[in-house]
Amino acid sequence: MENEPIIELENVRFSYSDQPGDEALRGISLSIEAGTYTCVLGGNGSGKSTLVQIMNALVAPTEGSARIFGIDPVAEPERLIEIRRQAAMVFQHVDDQMVTSIVADDVAFGPENLGVPQREIVRRVDEALAAVDMAALAQADPADLSGGQRQRVAIAGALAMQPRVLLLDEPAAMLDAPGRAAIQRIAADLVARGITIVHVTHFMDDALRADRVIALDQGRVALDGTPGDVFSQRDAIRALGLELPFTIQLVERLSDAVPGLPVTADAEELAGALASRLATTTTVAATAETVPAAAGSSVARNGNDAVTFERATFSYADEHDPRRRPGLFARLRGRASRTAAPRGPLALANVSFALPRGSLTALIGRTGSGKSTTVELACALKVPNAGTVRVNGIDTTDLERRSAIRSSIGYVGQFPERQLFAATVFEDVAFGPRNLGLTEAEVEQRVLRALDAVGLPTAPDFIARSPFALSGGQQRNVAIAGVLAMETPLLVLDEPMAGLDPRGRARMKELIGSLKTNGSTILLVTHSMDDVAELADRVVALDHGAVAAIGTPRDLFLNNSDLLPGIPDALAFSRVLASQGAQLASEPLTLDELVEEVLHGRTR
Amino acid sequence: MGVRVSAGSYYSVASPIHALDPRVKLLIAIFFMVSCLFVDDIATLAVAGAFCIGAILAARVPLGRLLAQIRPVIAFLLLTSLLNLFFVHTGEVVVALGPLALHSGGIAAAAFYTMRFLLLLLMGSLLMLTTQAMALTDAAERLLSPLTRLGLPVGELCLVLSIALRFVPTLAREAQHIAVAQTARGAALEGKGALAYARACVPLVVPLFASALRHAEHLARAMDARCYTGGTGRTHYHALRLDIRHDGAAAALFATYLIMLAALKFIG
Repeated sequence: MENEPIIELENVRFSYSDQPGDEALRGISLSIEAGTYTCVLGGNGSGKSTLVQIMNALVAPTEGSARIFGIDPVAEPERLIEIRRQAAMVFQHVDDQMVTSIVADDVAFGPENLGVPQREIVRRVDEALAAVDMAALAQADPADLSGGQRQRVAIAGALAMQPRVLLLDEPAAMLDAPGRAAIQRIAADLVARGITIVHVTHFMDDALRADRVIALDQGRVALDGTPGDVFSQRDAIRALGLELPFTIQLVERLSDAVPGLPVTADAEELAGALASRLATTTTVAATAETVPAAAGSSVARNGNDAVTFERATFSYADEHDPRRRPGLFARLRGRASRTAAPRGPLALANVSFALPRGSLTALIGRTGSGKSTTVELACALKVPNAGTVRVNGIDTTDLERRSAIRSSIGYVGQFPERQLFAATVFEDVAFGPRNLGLTEAEVEQRVLRALDAVGLPTAPDFIARSPFALSGGQQRNVAIAGVLAMETPLLVLDEPMAGLDPRGRARMKELIGSLKTNGSTILLVTHSMDDVAELADRVVALDHGAVAAIGTPRDLFLNNSDLLPGIPDALAFSRVLASQGAQLASEPLTLDELVEEVLHGRTR
Repeated sequence: MGVRVSAGSYYSVASPIHALDPRVKLLIAIFFMVSCLFVDDIATLAVAGAFCIGAILAARVPLGRLLAQIRPVIAFLLLTSLLNLFFVHTGEVVVALGPLALHSGGIAAAAFYTMRFLLLLLMGSLLMLTTQAMALTDAAERLLSPLTRLGLPVGELCLVLSIALRFVPTLAREAQHIAVAQTARGAALEGKGALAYARACVPLVVPLFASALRHAEHLARAMDARCYTGGTGRTHYHALRLDIRHDGAAAALFATYLIMLAALKFIG
């Protein structure tokens, strides 16, 4: 029973259009065995999503054959529902898979469609919500839930159909770290219960938990095997635009100095092997001492701050329109609503911090901690109810100088590609500079410079294309170019890496690095502690609308990590190493520092 | 841009009104609202008012919540009652002040017009506060289900309604994000003449439209994956079962009210 193939694909080809060069899948043959956990990797456009949609017959192969639970979806179209019932699917877009405004009703949607008797539906809804730990929120409105919670509801909706196979199409792409961890936990639970899982993902640590990893490249299977097998083919992985798991990157970097380390994804195992090798040459444990905080604190702080928050407080209940002075009526109403019970939660309370000019400050915190509100206050898109926010010394409530503030801050919101609107790339990027009232020649110069900065072509045929016809990653770059073209000394980036594949993430990191070297002051909102460690000079950690900690990444990660949503991989690994008896002289935050520290320790 | 929209205004509490079958509740509310149109003297107002107040008390909804619901239309109500007060010239003159004269008919019209609509609004708000939007669409679907025999896709229409409710907050939030992003790129959204305003709206409307299309495409695929094939053969998560004691009592009370109202209209 264990090895019975339930999905069999033979030389499957699929094309969204009739053009021959345009195929999403170019001859895929594989079978999925019952009870296994398979991860599908691949860059954007490699055909991953199409592949899983073949597996529940949402799309039918244009060539080749598919047998899913023994059913051929092309030959037996009347049995499609039978396939979809048994191979349930969860999509990437949390917002777009719910049909109702009550959690339990939404979970019931699948069984209702299948004509399951009412009592049975009730039982299944309860069971499915319990399986994803959402029973307590059964009557909530999905709109009030976090992305992670909504994705768990979507999984419950799939489980309520009692499928044999669960197809997950990048379910965690839009989630923060805790949301992703919850999905990983649920997937492991379900596999243990005998459900077969096929999981499309951009995250290598998901792949490490699978029984089998399939890497796609341009519609073909490039690699297929156990995570160990696949990730040991390091050059092939890199050529596919994928990223190696942290431990394997480390083994690779150490391979000259410490040959023969096991190529493993298991941090404990690697740390054990490394610790025994280090112990023979070093006795660094005794000298362990944290390096004094260096970087960020050296930045001058004498009134040279680009943005300052002084006890800024903001609540959605009595928000002021940032474009208007509070009128008499609004003030009266404000007073009335203050005397009444407060309606919304306080989004920010007494937040004080400063962005030193020329620095990169990371703003971190869990979902709902007030990051987005802080960003909107910093950009003068909202004004505080109490306290002050100053940009270049100008109070954001000062309407006369509002335009001076606007022209000094560039704001890249989440999923900036969703703000594209113009008919051509050029027109879209030119929107900001034109609003600044520049001459047409200047506008053109700025557009080309901005496109060049984000790594897009500046050729006339490219800038005349419609931004909507570009790939997702290019769309995001066009949108970012639209902000860079404002050429503001201050940039606010709200999760610019969200939803990108590893190659896209690496490019974005490069771009942020080069903006920083060009002297921009940057406020970066991010979920990734590794990005913080690599890029940031300073960190502001928010928790429940208040500042939990401020400092350099080193200071916070080493001394106050309990106030942060997580720690970087390198630091976590060095702690595992320490628990195995090899304490490094100073604790590393990035892979580079970790490698340096290990090599340094050996030669000591 | 303080766009905050919530679909429905359900107030969660255990009460006899919350526990009613939504079909019964919907029908009673609709017929009560119709019956309000016949309120035109003290006696009928007293009967309708008593029924409405009884329902409000039984629903255990805080009065503030209920009044907050109808607040937006109160100004409109006051205005129309003033119009009635000054422009209805029936009955005798009660007060005369230069060209303005208040007639007894005007005073009565102003008072009853206002009270009648107040009752109507209160009952409508009470229905929304005590019934989840989903339960209402569910009830409407089943009450209208005989119409499917005439070829009307009742189930589909109700699903569309439910999806529309579900996407109101999503699209409102997105509209806000887009407005924020374009404002940060220096878009001037304050109007300066109709044409300039329309042009200024393009950077907002185009992305919002694109986003609605994207939602529609994704949602259609997700519904396919969840085996939606149209209204036929579907079952319902919520069992709507009439409870003779509970729903019967409510129906009996409402029938009593209707009989009293009718008696007052025809005898009085």
